[in-house]
Amino acid sequence: MKAFEYATAHSTDSARELVADHGAYLAGGNDLLGLLKEYLVSADTLVNIKSLPNMDKIVRSEQKWTIGALVTIGEIERNAEMAKAFPGLHDAAMEIASPQIRNVATVGGNLAQHSRCWYFRHRDTVCLKKGGDLCYARNSENRYHSLFTGNDCISPVVSSLATTFAALDATAIVLCNGVETRMSMDDLYQKAWKEVAAHNSLNPGDLILRVRIPTTRSRSAYMQVSDKHAFDWALVSCAAAAEVVDGKLKSPRVALGSISPVPHQVQAANDFLDGKTLDDATASQAADMILAGATPREHNGYKVPMAHALIRRTLLKLKG
Amino acid sequence: MPSWPANTKYIGQSTLRVDAEAKVTGRARYSSDIQADDWLYGMILRSKWPAAKISAINLDKARQIPGIKAAITVRDGERTIRFYGEELAAVAGTTKQACLDALRAIEVTAQPLPFVVREDDAKKDDAPKVWEGVANVSTGRVREQGSNVDQAFTECAAVIEGFYTTPVQIHNPMETHGNTVSWTDDGVTAWASTQGVSSVRDALAGALKLDHSQVRVLTEFMGGGFGAKLGGGVEGVLAARLSKEAKAPVRLMLTRFDNALAVGNRPSSFQKIKIGALADGTLHAFEMENYGTAGIGAGADAGGGGGGANIPAPYIYAVPNTRVKQSAVAVNAGSSRAFRAPGHPPASYGMESAMDDLAAKLGMDPLELRLKNDSNEIRQREYKLGAEKFGWKEKYRKPGSSPGVVKTGIGCAGANWPGGGPNRRTQGDAQINPDGTIEFRLGVQDIGTGTKTVIAVVAAEMLGLKPEQITVKVGDTNFPPGPASGGSTTCSSISPTVYDICDKALQQLQTQSGIADARGENWFAACKKLGVTPLVVHGQWQQGLSTSPAYGVQFAEVEVDTETGLVTVKKVLGVHDCGLIIDKLTTESQVNGGIIMGMGYALYEERVMDDLSGVVLNPNFETYKLPGIADVPEIEIILINMPERGVIGIGEPATVPTAAAIGNAVFNAIGVRVGSMPITPAKVLAALGKVPPSTVSKS
Repeated sequence: MKAFEYATAHSTDSARELVADHGAYLAGGNDLLGLLKEYLVSADTLVNIKSLPNMDKIVRSEQKWTIGALVTIGEIERNAEMAKAFPGLHDAAMEIASPQIRNVATVGGNLAQHSRCWYFRHRDTVCLKKGGDLCYARNSENRYHSLFTGNDCISPVVSSLATTFAALDATAIVLCNGVETRMSMDDLYQKAWKEVAAHNSLNPGDLILRVRIPTTRSRSAYMQVSDKHAFDWALVSCAAAAEVVDGKLKSPRVALGSISPVPHQVQAANDFLDGKTLDDATASQAADMILAGATPREHNGYKVPMAHALIRRTLLKLKG
Repeated sequence: MPSWPANTKYIGQSTLRVDAEAKVTGRARYSSDIQADDWLYGMILRSKWPAAKISAINLDKARQIPGIKAAITVRDGERTIRFYGEELAAVAGTTKQACLDALRAIEVTAQPLPFVVREDDAKKDDAPKVWEGVANVSTGRVREQGSNVDQAFTECAAVIEGFYTTPVQIHNPMETHGNTVSWTDDGVTAWASTQGVSSVRDALAGALKLDHSQVRVLTEFMGGGFGAKLGGGVEGVLAARLSKEAKAPVRLMLTRFDNALAVGNRPSSFQKIKIGALADGTLHAFEMENYGTAGIGAGADAGGGGGGANIPAPYIYAVPNTRVKQSAVAVNAGSSRAFRAPGHPPASYGMESAMDDLAAKLGMDPLELRLKNDSNEIRQREYKLGAEKFGWKEKYRKPGSSPGVVKTGIGCAGANWPGGGPNRRTQGDAQINPDGTIEFRLGVQDIGTGTKTVIAVVAAEMLGLKPEQITVKVGDTNFPPGPASGGSTTCSSISPTVYDICDKALQQLQTQSGIADARGENWFAACKKLGVTPLVVHGQWQQGLSTSPAYGVQFAEVEVDTETGLVTVKKVLGVHDCGLIIDKLTTESQVNGGIIMGMGYALYEERVMDDLSGVVLNPNFETYKLPGIADVPEIEIILINMPERGVIGIGEPATVPTAAAIGNAVFNAIGVRVGSMPITPAKVLAALGKVPPSTVSKS
């Protein structure tokens, strides 16, 4: 990797100042160091943010849980109270990478991670996302790619936390130009939907501070399918959350990962499910709605039936 | 004729590896741990083009990077590059970063050439030629047996046709390829991660134009080779040349990225098989057309196309009427190299899949079809024993008849490994000291299979001592020559050699000490009588204590989720013979490892070439998928101990039938064949007809 300066920030203001225009924030480092070593990104300064106060805390109130961006995936996995409140989040955390990685990987880093497209990650291909003029995946090996996209890049969002947070209607609090800004998961990835070069909506210097999860949905679930049984990226992931009152869904939300540059959500399907009693047929209908308009490519068509099954199964898990 | 003792204390029992503690505590020094005095990092610049004419390589800027002590090109003058990752130049420097910076500073003048990386593309008439003036596809020989194959098919009660494909499997030993090499006026010393200290010595001496006696190769511990570490390697020669220029030892260990490109692989296979049987299940006619790629491998000397892609067919079965046509296809990709039982896992996968498809057509239990047609008595025994243990009869259901969304299925397959026999020129020494300590020195190497333990166990048995009383030194070309560890030959080469050394030592001790039987409790008294001069005995491999081949069968049980396509292997049972078992524990480890590797082949592993850029798309363990602990099923092993056959190697046969057994279990579960490995969720869903067609055209 290229040489860089290293600094430790003790306040968000100083972090922002240190990172300036060409720096990068360093927390768990899982994604950033890989990108630097492959010369996929460059940073003149790495700003260690692990000493920022209170960003590694989990705070709960009646209405919401607030998870600091420096909370590790391992802490989410091991937090029994949180597993009770948000079983879907717990299950999503359990599926991420390996225990060693979960012990250092942070919530903020998981949300901000870059595309895993194998053309983007390859040191010797200059794909569209890297400023080239060709999306190789569209024309060649696209087995891991999107069924939906709003631009010419078909690499999907792979953050399982983003998928789950979307279903839980969580909000990220992001420091944008010194101003704390609330972003839904839609907001957080919208730019990646529209722009080939974007991995998320964060601009240089933006910093995810925490995530707020409302307690309005006591039921949640997460499922994914990978080629392997552990330590593998999801081919498709699905999260669902709702309140269940008298056997009927209230405020249900379903989101999918690895099939779109954003956590894939269809409001009409959420509306359709609202007030329904869950059964196979209902879940199946919702799945049809969620996957309507999917664009299967040469090698990723399998994601359609796989997503369909995952939506049904994840929804049915909400019944408890 | 010598023979193994009938009643044994250690042979055939389980002895912990003699170096277990050193390994688990990290005390064991692997080749990649070697830190010679004042050593430098070495790194290789690789081609980023899959095919190119290289007209110039300028190292000036690389040499100016602080810390860089040497920079060399692989070859002077113009040259043609034929695969992505081919070696161009190398540097040595005091830090890793200096080397990385230097590689980026090297200026390569190249004219990219047309390339082709996929077998089916390379077969087309207008495909770019991998080797100038030579067809990509070898002409292929047709081997025919029987009077009239076409006629024979008409005599069959059932005939099936299938297309079975296997991917290129990349060599990924846990320790990457590489070495530390020191070149001084006295000669070259190489601490190499190798399967053959002698073969590396000869290769390096040849490449560097040195006498054999000027090169010493050392391999104290190494982390696996599986057939890919038998030669000196480009990395060996480059490390030596860098060391000469830098006047310092150079450690050149490849990265995982490097390993994915240029250290060899198992060739792919595309097997079109037609097979027919008479009404009673007797195989009657067989026809196969197969092609595969060995990358650029052996293209020139094969008269076109790559070599090394042929497989034995119809594998372990005798079919009276057969026609087999095989050809090799050259592509612009890294070359093949021997890979644990070369040719056999793909052969087993194709043929054993066809057998199950045929059994389904006949309405027969596929195990019955095997018992009917497999003439090998040992495998017959193994099938029967295994079926009993596995509960085959109770578990077997017609293909696709498992109820529910998640279906279960079982399958089996057989293996034959013609190797496993000895290298007859194996030699070794032992030095017996007057205090009763004894040290064995063999110029063999322990590739992780337990070679040192085998030596200790045989010696302890023969001398009436305990394994921990035996000191074992291997992995040094200064020791008497041993075999390269390929072809599962090591155990059957060294066991009789150690037998002979012990036999001679006991005779000599008797003569020198006057004690009739120097074994066991008399050992120390006899040694004491040596006075002040240790006894050194030389032994060599002896006839009658080892043999080949080895036979094995495996049974697999899987669950297949028909909605997500996910395959979960629940259980694998391996029934193997390897003649006389020396150490049960390390033998079982070989079978465990073979089954896990076979699982990777069946379900996960595949080199993915990008046809647009010509690069290997998955040069890392993120996307080149290997089985992890969560994927590994319950593994049960039955070893058939046959002391009367002598010692046979087990390393290779253990991995041969796994993929075929798993593939058949998947077929049994879902009732349709996934004819292409790896059997991914995507392919399972496609086989089940659940995948919608693409709605977009390529842009």
